[in-house]
Amino acid sequence: MKFHFSRKQLCIPYAVFLVCFVILPMLLIVFYAFTAENETGNLTFSFNNFIGFFSSPSKWQTLGVSVTISLIATFFCVLIAYPLSYILARSGWKKSNVLLTLFILPMWLNFVLRITALRELLDMIGFLGNYDYVNTIIGMVYDFLPFMILPIYTQLLKLDKTLLEASKDLGAGAFTTFTKVTLPLSMPGVYSGITMVFVPSMTNYVVSETLGNSNITILGKLIEEYFSTYANWHMGSMISIILLVIIFLSMLATGGFKNDNENSRGSNLW
Amino acid sequence: MEGNENKIIELINVSKSFENTDVIDNVNLYIRKGEFVTLLGPSGCGKTTTLRMIAGFDLPTSGQILLNNKDISQLPPNKRPINTVFQRYALFPHLNIFDNIAFGLKLKKVTNTYINDKTGETYEKQEKLTKSEIEQKVKKALALVDLEGFEKRNVATLSGGQQQRVAIARAIVNEPEILLLDEPLGALDLKMRKEMQLELKEMHQKLGLTFIYVTHDQEEALTMSDTIVVMADGQIQQIGKPTDIYNEPANAFVADFIGESNIFNATYEGDRKVRFCGKVFACEDDFAKNEPVDVVVRPEDIEMVAPDQGMLTGTVISVVFKGIHYQIIVKVGKNEIEIQNTQSRKVGEQIGMNIYPDGIHVMKKEFTSNVFNGVITKHNTVEFGDGEFACDVTKLYPGSHLDEEGYLITAKGNKLDLTGVEVTAEVGLNDIKMSDDPDEGNVRGEIISLVYIGDHYRYTVRTENEEDYVFACDDLWNENDKVSLIIPADKIRLTLKKQEDA
Repeated sequence: MKFHFSRKQLCIPYAVFLVCFVILPMLLIVFYAFTAENETGNLTFSFNNFIGFFSSPSKWQTLGVSVTISLIATFFCVLIAYPLSYILARSGWKKSNVLLTLFILPMWLNFVLRITALRELLDMIGFLGNYDYVNTIIGMVYDFLPFMILPIYTQLLKLDKTLLEASKDLGAGAFTTFTKVTLPLSMPGVYSGITMVFVPSMTNYVVSETLGNSNITILGKLIEEYFSTYANWHMGSMISIILLVIIFLSMLATGGFKNDNENSRGSNLW
Repeated sequence: MEGNENKIIELINVSKSFENTDVIDNVNLYIRKGEFVTLLGPSGCGKTTTLRMIAGFDLPTSGQILLNNKDISQLPPNKRPINTVFQRYALFPHLNIFDNIAFGLKLKKVTNTYINDKTGETYEKQEKLTKSEIEQKVKKALALVDLEGFEKRNVATLSGGQQQRVAIARAIVNEPEILLLDEPLGALDLKMRKEMQLELKEMHQKLGLTFIYVTHDQEEALTMSDTIVVMADGQIQQIGKPTDIYNEPANAFVADFIGESNIFNATYEGDRKVRFCGKVFACEDDFAKNEPVDVVVRPEDIEMVAPDQGMLTGTVISVVFKGIHYQIIVKVGKNEIEIQNTQSRKVGEQIGMNIYPDGIHVMKKEFTSNVFNGVITKHNTVEFGDGEFACDVTKLYPGSHLDEEGYLITAKGNKLDLTGVEVTAEVGLNDIKMSDDPDEGNVRGEIISLVYIGDHYRYTVRTENEEDYVFACDDLWNENDKVSLIIPADKIRLTLKKQEDA
């Protein structure tokens, strides 16, 4: 038989990759999450992990803490990133690229190194050990800020300047033009930034461990504990799935799945 | 000042420069209320900048813009009762059609008059339009552009033509004093464009608004306008009715830009006679005797006759069918003459041609030579027009020569150091050559315009510092070509600015 090369065959490696590294692991997680060991050591189907998670006040608390920290960190990221991106995108200043790079630069440094350095800094000003939550949020904002700046900056940069002229032409002053044209048209960038900050903030326990002096437990930490300390893969997997659902819902809420023209043009960086 | 109250907008000595480049150079223009005025010119002529200054997006560097005799030069766009239809429509993608059109109305404040119930006094109040007022106005605007029922549609679902109509509706719904249109039909296909031209013209008559329209399409300008303002190189070349612009172009540029034309180098012989193509023709214009002039003859104004009956005879070198007429190119001596006629001729055929006085339009020559202010830099080197040229400075002083150190020795034997002396340098139109090798010539520049004149092209080359060189060349180059210019030393005529004692 003759070998017929077709374009479809090009996707075979990707299909293999997807099966090995996405579908199989997901199935395994689901398998572990909905099984439990009975007295004889056999695995049986069970909802115990699910019930166990939601009936435990301490786990509810962890969930609450994770969501609260993520929300606050995301809020401050938007608060800092939007005006900055706006200034950078609008200044018309030739050096604005350099300034942008300076803000993005920490991303290229080793993450653990950055956090350790920040820990030393917080220790120096006496925050470490005293304000665990504040320190964690500072760490999250510091760490994820570039992920908020980039999509907002990109979105503002590609905003058609004639739309702003049209707005002024129709009688809108600078403030009205901002609220009625610039802001709504840059929202895809903000949404994209929110998903890129909110999600990792829920799981990145290196930040909370290092800066919160190991006094703060977020969902990511809990998962790690179930897998390594308690060797309970079933509960660990269940928490992972619950986290996945939360992320899915949060993306649904911020319009991350919208596939209209605006998004397909690459405004969402992820 | 005639009809002062009729002028809705007036530009007085308006100039605009971006980063030291003059885009608009001392423009004076007024537009009457209710007029349809077209700013016409090639790209980069400053027509869009003029429009943007009227809209308020760009502020003039100097000069005044008067709206109803009030200076609005420094007013931001949102404070001007002027609305714009943008080239690429600029509709808001996040708003539906209704909200796009209502954008301006929602911001608008109107003065309403009330009567106080108790005292009976009238008082005025600045109020926003009510929801139903806005709805009514939007509906009316949509009806005017034939888009009834489109209120809830998304911008992205509309065709180019429909988006254009929404853009027009969005502007006129605010009842501006002046409507600005920046090449609004540029993105539409030919058929659509023709339809929209007529619709816009109709809309103009119905609304009675003042329209200022910007285009580079001369046909569009001739079709739609009451008045055409032809611009080139940041300056107004001619203002007039379409028929005047076509029949009586002010200069070779206008003649070349509007419609097809034959332009000839000519000499005014006096007594309403003009000589070109080696023959003398009767004409209807008056110029000084022996003045070099440009003559324009429209291709449809040339009559084809038998070879022995024509004022000119020539050989047909090409015939192209253009639908309504044939385009026939005839070679007469060195000149190529274009004729448009419903009758065809064969290539290679000898024909006679007659041109009658009403078909000949004589124009003043704008350039007869290039004149620059210069400075002598070294022995025999003069700097002018953004370049440094070798010249013969001994010509400044008859009988003089240079000694071995480079000092000028006059006829009387006086020794002069000419470094830094200011001179006027003059170069004839036929004394400049172009090269595409940037290092071959003494000065580099870009071709900013070219006009075909009978048997050669007339080029204008602009240097980086905005010095212009005008000259003739037989070969066809392209606009925006980067060239260097070669001027032989003996073709530069120097004169001293100050007559010094020699």
